[in-house]
Amino acid sequence: MNGDFIALLPKPNLAQLGTSAACPEHLQATTVFAFHCKEGVVIAGDHRATAGNIIFSDKTEKILELDSHSLMAIAGVPATAFEMARTLQTSFEFYRRSQLQSMSLKAKIRALSRLLRDNLPATLQGFGIVQPIFAGVEVDDPNAKPVIFFYDPLGAQFEAATYAGSGSGSGSIKSVLHYLERWGKPRPAEMSVDEAITLATRLLMTAAEFDAATGGVHPDRRLFATIKLLTREGTRSISLDEMERCWKESCA
Amino acid sequence: MTEEPYRWLEAIGNRREYIRDQLKGGTPVFACSRPEGILLVGVGQGMSKVFEIYDRHGFAALGHPVDIEKIRQAAIEAAHLEGFNRSARDVTLRRLIGFALSTTLKNAFEQIYSPPIIVESIFAELGESQREDVLVRVHFDGHHKYISDGVVAAHIDQKLEDEAVAWLREHIKPDDSLGRVTNLCLNAWRALADSKPFAELKPSSDPFSANGKTVEVALLDRKLPGPVHYRSLDFAKLKG
Repeated sequence: MNGDFIALLPKPNLAQLGTSAACPEHLQATTVFAFHCKEGVVIAGDHRATAGNIIFSDKTEKILELDSHSLMAIAGVPATAFEMARTLQTSFEFYRRSQLQSMSLKAKIRALSRLLRDNLPATLQGFGIVQPIFAGVEVDDPNAKPVIFFYDPLGAQFEAATYAGSGSGSGSIKSVLHYLERWGKPRPAEMSVDEAITLATRLLMTAAEFDAATGGVHPDRRLFATIKLLTREGTRSISLDEMERCWKESCA
Repeated sequence: MTEEPYRWLEAIGNRREYIRDQLKGGTPVFACSRPEGILLVGVGQGMSKVFEIYDRHGFAALGHPVDIEKIRQAAIEAAHLEGFNRSARDVTLRRLIGFALSTTLKNAFEQIYSPPIIVESIFAELGESQREDVLVRVHFDGHHKYISDGVVAAHIDQKLEDEAVAWLREHIKPDDSLGRVTNLCLNAWRALADSKPFAELKPSSDPFSANGKTVEVALLDRKLPGPVHYRSLDFAKLKG
């Protein structure tokens, strides 16, 4: 009874699987990113999932709430990524209820790393690669600040001091964020929530310009990205109305 | 010795007696279905008696703390596996108790060479409306009963437990606040603890004298947004 939900699940037996020419083109979800703003962390993603040159879906939800104080942004194979998110969601709640305390932030970060490592056979065979971003804040520390972690597909975890991006469109986004971090006035970390929402929208529009796998944001058609905010108090989804208001104000 | 049927019956009888004797130090727990949600009330001494099991599920028990923990963990494990493999809506008390917990309890009770599970408990499942709430009284031998009229108690003595429930049903009104319902549960708790007859008991709003004990109150809150509906209430802030 150690509060480990993952240990209760049967071990995946992926090592015996092999790739085949008859294997359908696997899905990819791109582009997600996170950056620090004045009030916490903004984490955002487009809605597109592709299979090769096919747009499979333009309504994919890639920013997933793991619990009230942590978020995961998924890039890579959605089948694996969604399962990882579901495992973590259940795992964190299971721990909280069985151990009568919240799981520490470090343990949450590590839990995602462990799932990526368990996914190693699929990663090495090329059909289950996931490169997530994790944003979280320590629940029991009143002075804790939200953090951003990014991972390599094998499970290594790295803290992002300012921003992180993943997926095929993240190159453009990271370039812009780097520029703003270095020379921006204000820098993303100094931006208000409204400014950060506008920046996130513009970043995705920029990524969509250069990457076909990134779904576009079209404010004129009320098509926006998924943007969530993580503060000391917990997670908050930015509503469509809020994104539209910020966009209109930025254009005014 | 136990190969002979009557010896086995005797052993089971002794075991039942032993468990009831062990439960004697325990104090009652209550659950009431209300328009706001399901209220769970217990009075503990160092150890908790009221717990969250799953998104819409709560548990309150008396008995040996280690055994309460055993049942609590088994319930949490079964509920989370079911919720993960299927969905949160598929986690129901009917399946949780019928197919997992009552079997465990019955087996533990009848395995006369292993230590028994000394627990009397209540499980609660929050519905969309008060009519859909599910309350279950679960006994140490796996026997369980679904309660349809919104009030349930678990106590060491079945007769006194029935009297307490009847008294609560008589005195809890549909528009009572959570504070008043908690107070009525504590009135019943005090009467059971002091072995006072319920026929003479009048509802009292006098402050509850805890004598070093902790009043635990939790609500499976119907209006709480998000999947998790369980929240602990601060007894000191509840107004009767």
